[in-house]
Amino acid sequence: MTDARARLTRCFTAVFPQLTDDAVPTAALATVPAWDSIAHVTLLAVVEEEFGTPVDPDEIEHLTSFDALLHAVTRGAAA
Amino acid sequence: MRIPDWRGFCTPSPAVKLVEALEIGRRARAATGEPLPVLLACGFTPLHVATFLGAHLQRRRPTRPVQLFTGLFGDLAGTLETHGTPVEAAVAVVEWSDLDPRLGVRGTGAWGPSALPDVIASVERAAGRLRAALERRAAQAPVALALPTLPLPPLGHTPGGRASAFEDDLDAAIQALGAWAVRHPRIALVRARRLDALSPPGERLDVAAEVRTGFPYRLSHADALAELLAALVAPADPKKGLITDLDDTLWRGMLGEVGSAGVRWELAGAVHMHGAFQQCLAALAESGVLVAIASKNDPGRVDEALRRADLRVPRERIFPVEAGWGPKSAAVTTILHAWNVGAGDVVFVDDSAMELAEVAAAHPGLECVRFPVEDPGAAWALLERLRDLFGRPHLSAEDGLRLASLRERAATPAPAAGTDGFETFLAEVQARLTLDDTPDADDPRALELVNKTNQWTLNGRRFSEAQWRRLLAEPGAFLLRVAYEDRFGPLGTIAVLAGKASPDGLHVAVWVMSCRAFSRRIEHQALRHLFRRFGAAELTLDYERTDRNGPLQEFLAGLPGWRSAPAGTCLRRADLEAACPPLHHAVVATGPAEAGKEGIP
Repeated sequence: MTDARARLTRCFTAVFPQLTDDAVPTAALATVPAWDSIAHVTLLAVVEEEFGTPVDPDEIEHLTSFDALLHAVTRGAAA
Repeated sequence: MRIPDWRGFCTPSPAVKLVEALEIGRRARAATGEPLPVLLACGFTPLHVATFLGAHLQRRRPTRPVQLFTGLFGDLAGTLETHGTPVEAAVAVVEWSDLDPRLGVRGTGAWGPSALPDVIASVERAAGRLRAALERRAAQAPVALALPTLPLPPLGHTPGGRASAFEDDLDAAIQALGAWAVRHPRIALVRARRLDALSPPGERLDVAAEVRTGFPYRLSHADALAELLAALVAPADPKKGLITDLDDTLWRGMLGEVGSAGVRWELAGAVHMHGAFQQCLAALAESGVLVAIASKNDPGRVDEALRRADLRVPRERIFPVEAGWGPKSAAVTTILHAWNVGAGDVVFVDDSAMELAEVAAAHPGLECVRFPVEDPGAAWALLERLRDLFGRPHLSAEDGLRLASLRERAATPAPAAGTDGFETFLAEVQARLTLDDTPDADDPRALELVNKTNQWTLNGRRFSEAQWRRLLAEPGAFLLRVAYEDRFGPLGTIAVLAGKASPDGLHVAVWVMSCRAFSRRIEHQALRHLFRRFGAAELTLDYERTDRNGPLQEFLAGLPGWRSAPAGTCLRRADLEAACPPLHHAVVATGPAEAGKEGIP
C-alpha cells in the first residue's frame, strides 16, 4: 500500500507539477484547477503504465481523486 | 535507441515511460536557455506524442527549453498552412484518417465497394494538399515528417490476407508523397523500416484510446515515433572516425598464429560477419569517415594481410595503420594525432572487453564498442549502430577530400613552425585561398562546419538551422567562407566566419576552422580580409574559452594587442598587422563585395 501510494504520488506530480507531495493525497478534480479532460486522460495513461493494469472504461469518469485512483490500483493489484 | 540483440560495450538508451517524459518536461520549464520552439502538426489529439516528443527533444537539446505548439484537431494540413508563431522546426505526423476520415477508427462513412474509388480519389487530393502545405512550411523551417504508421481499417472486399488493388492504390499515393519528401532538402522523413524495428506494426493502434479520446497510439508507439522524429529535428553530431582492431574483429583468427592467408572473412565457416564489417567500413570510408587500425601484431604481417586482394575494405581507405606491441591506447593516441580530431568524435571497435576498457580509460569520450565475434545477429545490429553513429543527411565534396589531405600531410610533414624550413615550406606549397563573402544561408557545408568543429572555434556555439538563418538575416550580417588548396590537393571549404558590421563596429560571432587547415596561416588571412573589406580599424570577437578550443586560444595569445572589452574580445587591425607573419597564399576574393581580385596581398 505504501509503495502504491508513493508510485501514485509520483504519477500525480508528473501530471500536475504545481502539486507538492503533501498536497497530492487530497487532490481531486474539484480542487486542482489544472485537472481538465486532457490532464485526466494523461493521468489515467500514466497510472495504467505505472501499475500495468488497464483502467476499466466504466470507471473512468469516477476516478477523479487521488483516493479513488489509489483504491482502483490497489484493488487491481489484489485481484 | 532500442536495437534488439545489440550487445555493444555501450548501453542503448531505454524507452521512456510517460511519467518520465512528463518529468523531463517539468524540469525543462525551469531552464533559462533560449527556447526551442517546435510546431507539432497532427490531425489527432496530440496528447502523449506531444509529451514524448518534448521529452526526446529536451534530452537532445538540454540547454534549450522546448516549446511545442499544436494545431486544431482534424486539420493537419491547415495547421501546417496557417500556424503563425515562428518556430525552428515543424513536425508533421500523418495518419490515414488525415487523408480520408473513412480510413480512421472514428470514421463512420461508407466502406462498401462502391465507395472505394472515392476514397482513393479523396486520398490523392488530400496528399496533394498536404504536399503543398509541407512545401510552404519547409520554406519557413525544416520539417520532420512521418507518413501513416497505423494499419488500414478492414474495408474492402478481399480477405484480410490478400492484397487488393484498393490498398495498392492507397500505398502508391503515400509512396509518391514519400518519394517527393525524401528528396526535398528541408524535409526529413522518418525511415519506416527503423520504426518497424522499434514499434512492431501490429502493436501500434490503441482502438480503445482512439474511440475514447481521439488518440490512436499505444504509449510504446508514441514513444518510438517521437524518438525518431526528435532525432530528425535535433540530430546528434555524427562521429568522424572509426578505429578497428584486426584479429577477431576485422577478420577471424589470430594473424600471428595463422598468417595472412589464414585469417578469414568468407561466407563459409561462420566468419562472414567479419566480411560484412569490412563492407560496412568500406562504405563509411567512401562517405568520408576516417578509418584506422590499432592492432597488437607484427607490422610486417599486418601489411601483408592488408594487401590481400579479397579484403573488402580497400587498403588505401585505411589510414593510419598502427600495429605493434604497445598498449592499444597509445596506438589510438597516435591515430587521433594523425587525424587531428578529438576522442569524442571517434568510435573504437574491438572484440576484447579488456582492450576496450583500457582505451576507454585513456581516452574519455571515445565511444568503445565490442565486436560480438560469436553472435551474427549482434554483429548485424552493430552495423546498424555504426550507421546511426556516422550517418549524415548529406555528403559534401569535402567528405571525399578528407582522407587524401590527411595522407598527404602525413607523407609530407611540414617542418616545425618557427623554423626556416617551415617558412620555405609555406612559400613553396602554392597555397590558394578563396574567400567567399556571398551570404548564402543555404550552404549546408557552412553550417555543418560550424556545428562539428571543436578545436578552432571561437566559442563552441552550435546553431540550429533557424538560428543560423536568423544570424545571417540580421542587418549588417556577413558570412565569410574560406576554401583552401595547395600543391597537395584541395581541402574544400575549411573555415567559416560570421557576424555583423554595424555603426557600432565589426563583430565576429562565429569563427571555425577545420583542423586539417591548421598551421597554414589561414586565420591571419581571414582576419585581414575582414578588416580590409569593412574598412575597420578594430573588431570584436565573441570569444569564449572552451575545454577544446586550445588552438584558437594559442592564436589569440600570439596577438599581443587583443584585450577583453564589454562587447567581446577586441582586436585592432594594427596589432594584427604587427604580429602577422609572412602570408604566401594566392587569394581569390569572391562575393558581392569583391570583383574577383587576385594576388598576394
